[in-house]
Amino acid sequence: MNVSRLRQLIQILAFGLLVFGGFINVDLTHYLPVCSCTFNDAKGGSCFLAGLQCILTKPFDQYPLDNWWPLLRLTKWILYTVLFFIILNKAWCGWLCPFGAIQDWLTILRKKSGIECARFSWLTHDKLKSVKYILLFLLIILSVGIGNSLFGLPRLTEDLHVPMCQICPARPLIPIFTGDFSQFFINFKSTTKIVMSTLGMTLLGLVLVGSFVKKRFWCAYCPISAFTSLFDNLGLMQLKKDGQRCTKCGNCSRVCDMEIREIAEERDRENIVTQDCMLCMRCIEACPEDLALKATFLGKNVFASSFEGFMARQCIKAEGNRER
Amino acid sequence: MKRKTDHQPDRQERLYPEKVVEQTRTNLVLAARGVIDLLRANPTRPKGMDYFDKVVLGIYQEDANLSTGKNREKLIGTFCLSTPEELIYAAGAVPVRLGAGIHATTPMGEDYLPVLSCPIVKSTVGLFHLKLLSVYKRCKLVIIPTTCDWMKKIGEILGNYITVWTLEVPQVKEREPARRHWVEEVYGLKREIERFTGSKITKNRLREAIRLIQRAQLEFRRLYRIRMRETPVISGSDAMLIMNAYSYDEVDRWTAAMSRLNDELEERLRERVSVCPKNAPRIMLTGSPILFPNWKLSSMIEEAGGIIVCDDLCSSNRYIYDPIAIDESTMPDMMIAIAERYLLPCTCPCFSPNNERIERILQMVEDFRVTGVIYHVLRGCHLYDFEERHIHEILQGKGVPQIKIETDYSLEDRGQVQTRLEAFLEILQGKESW
Repeated sequence: MNVSRLRQLIQILAFGLLVFGGFINVDLTHYLPVCSCTFNDAKGGSCFLAGLQCILTKPFDQYPLDNWWPLLRLTKWILYTVLFFIILNKAWCGWLCPFGAIQDWLTILRKKSGIECARFSWLTHDKLKSVKYILLFLLIILSVGIGNSLFGLPRLTEDLHVPMCQICPARPLIPIFTGDFSQFFINFKSTTKIVMSTLGMTLLGLVLVGSFVKKRFWCAYCPISAFTSLFDNLGLMQLKKDGQRCTKCGNCSRVCDMEIREIAEERDRENIVTQDCMLCMRCIEACPEDLALKATFLGKNVFASSFEGFMARQCIKAEGNRER
Repeated sequence: MKRKTDHQPDRQERLYPEKVVEQTRTNLVLAARGVIDLLRANPTRPKGMDYFDKVVLGIYQEDANLSTGKNREKLIGTFCLSTPEELIYAAGAVPVRLGAGIHATTPMGEDYLPVLSCPIVKSTVGLFHLKLLSVYKRCKLVIIPTTCDWMKKIGEILGNYITVWTLEVPQVKEREPARRHWVEEVYGLKREIERFTGSKITKNRLREAIRLIQRAQLEFRRLYRIRMRETPVISGSDAMLIMNAYSYDEVDRWTAAMSRLNDELEERLRERVSVCPKNAPRIMLTGSPILFPNWKLSSMIEEAGGIIVCDDLCSSNRYIYDPIAIDESTMPDMMIAIAERYLLPCTCPCFSPNNERIERILQMVEDFRVTGVIYHVLRGCHLYDFEERHIHEILQGKGVPQIKIETDYSLEDRGQVQTRLEAFLEILQGKESW
């Protein structure tokens, strides 16, 4: 059993738990830093962004100023999310996220059909990195703008409620797995709804095609990771690199689903979790240098690169009958 | 870019008398025999080395050794380690690394080259001109990567004797355009090899070729691990011979012999059979490549009482050190993997910046518990000479002494080099006993 297999297994289990958990009364709360849709009635836990947007939408003037209730609620929400997040750090994305799992399954399908994977040029890749921050900013500012008048402008329409959820590609898709097609449609209630739901459906189509040709297509734009990557230094799980042991052979960044170049280029920084990293540990699997890359939990090594491990994963065995 | 013999104006054919050619042939066979005999004189030498002796001697004595394998018809010559050998094996051909370490042919090379040229280039050109050694004659195509200045220009001379394919290696590997260009170059090389061999490099054949070399790398790294241990069970000269044999041999035969040797060495480790005295200073050899039969420096170091525990020479430890990870078995993915493996981890000083080399040396010093570093500079090898000072300073900071030995293929400076080596080793030994 190698780490990739283990990860695939855990992804399937997590998918079952997060998407169908409601049927057996599992509730892992709605503070999770994963793309598990809150509109799925059978959910076993859901994305923290939906609730966050609801809190931000509540008009501030509904409460007297001396009442800190909205701020407290917001703080509690963020605190819980961050607490959940730091246990596993970005491994939430790589190991547990159901939407990530769907994309990985599409990749497996692509590999089976022998189609090559698409890669962005470095410049495009670097530019697109900022999309997730723009999405995060927009979801905050639009949510606040619904309940409050910002800069003297009129309040935004109620139809924009939970703006990110309206365009999120996971919302139409994930409930379908439980047989619920109620989110998979274009809403004609108002112009805003038409625009937003069309955007959402288009994005879903784009992401499905995109993640078939390109590994983890959506994850580079996910506002969840934009928020959580602010806290990845606090994570109990970390990815460490020993710059001197690295030969810069480039295996790690080539196999990386997120095309992270720093993993191969960076020498001086020990902590190598970057904003797009999802701790899938594929880089460690592809590294032929002993202890050059390692995943640690609370400072203890949980998985480290080694030449023997590398060769075993490449299915290369020594010839002849070696005594052990 | 390819140059064909018939497009070039004939350079003035400097014909040497038959007597000179014969004399040179005898000299180079003697030189090769001399090195092997010297290595065999060590009573503690591992028995598994016999195979590698035979491979190397087979080249020089021109016996049938090299013509026994199944793919012997198609030999493709290579220089440096920037030529992706996987592509050659995938096309059913065998790569032979042609850089020569022969002193006897150097004067003939000097007739065609600037005075300051490096001995490798002189020796190789001389060898081609005298049409010695059947392995050189039987290569119909030679791939020359543009690493150092000598390699850039040598193709223009060799074009008189053989079809040359110049492989353009980027000099700065940190940026995207260079990497894209290099991948394109490797694709171009693939097409040329396909054209030359007449067989198509398919996805499956390429994957098999990668696996073939991965298996060799597994055995190579076993030896690498064995040399890291406290007891030196193999001398550095022998280890270098193994990698020189790799450059002439077919990879699967080499791997099998290597596996046998490793078994023997592991047995020796258990029985603590050392090839040198207990307090021999652990030496790391770095700098210009040492190509057979130029065993002058390495055998002098080990005769003077040191043991070469590791080296970072492109002719030896660096040759097949880095393995390729096959992630997806599609053609583009494997081609990018091959391209990256031959460019990114390469620590040749022709790249700028070349911090990888320093990190590699420091890691090796740590892994092999090196007490002193000997920096070999072939006279005329400016790039290695250039980096010597910087590496000297860095190693000094770590408390590891380094000595620079600048020399060439001639034996004239033997005495002088020996004196310096002995003094250096004495200092190291003194440091140990402190």
